[in-house]
Amino acid sequence: MLLSSLVPADHFLIMALYAFLISFFFALLWRSEKRERAVLFVKLFLALVVGALAVAWLMYPFPS
Amino acid sequence: MSESAFPPPPSAPPPPPPAAPASPAAVPRRGPPGLVAAILAWVFPGLGHFAVGRRGTSLLYALIVTATFLLGMSFEGRLYSPEPGQPLTILATFAVYGAGLLNVAARLISTNPSGSILSVTYEYGCAFLLTAGLMNLLLMLDAYDIATGRK
Repeated sequence: MLLSSLVPADHFLIMALYAFLISFFFALLWRSEKRERAVLFVKLFLALVVGALAVAWLMYPFPS
Repeated sequence: MSESAFPPPPSAPPPPPPAAPASPAAVPRRGPPGLVAAILAWVFPGLGHFAVGRRGTSLLYALIVTATFLLGMSFEGRLYSPEPGQPLTILATFAVYGAGLLNVAARLISTNPSGSILSVTYEYGCAFLLTAGLMNLLLMLDAYDIATGRK
């Protein structure tokens, strides 16, 4: 597809893109003021990305 | 004495409360009924919000959900269909069909609606497609709530 040349192939970038879309969507849906939306967006984005990295780091020793 | 001579009537109605400001639910609403708004929201992401007057956010919703869906197709994700012996595919099908006409059009246009399981990005594509459908289902509920005055 046309988009296939534009989308990232890196796992972290795909995850960050997913986190961006999800955070943007829920910031729009759950808040009405612009500043509140920005704050919630940052919180959700950081929670998703940092949380995923933390879980990945915790699972690193497995399955050895 | 005067109290016994003139007892208060037992069924006297209480005095009317002072006039309260009109609540949002009491204000006559304009726009489509809730069910119509929800159906419009299913047809295309953001269309329900556009119909109930949320023009600015409707464009952003359309952009987000459509981008998520197209990315899922680009990642060679799977447009789920129910399979015998795989009950979870029923839930996945429900989620993907939440994307409305995007899903229908993709099934008609795509040469490989089942995705490419050997692709590195297959799982990402499935996640993006399911997420796009579920986001649009949430938009349907939100448009319904706005149209009925709950939000």
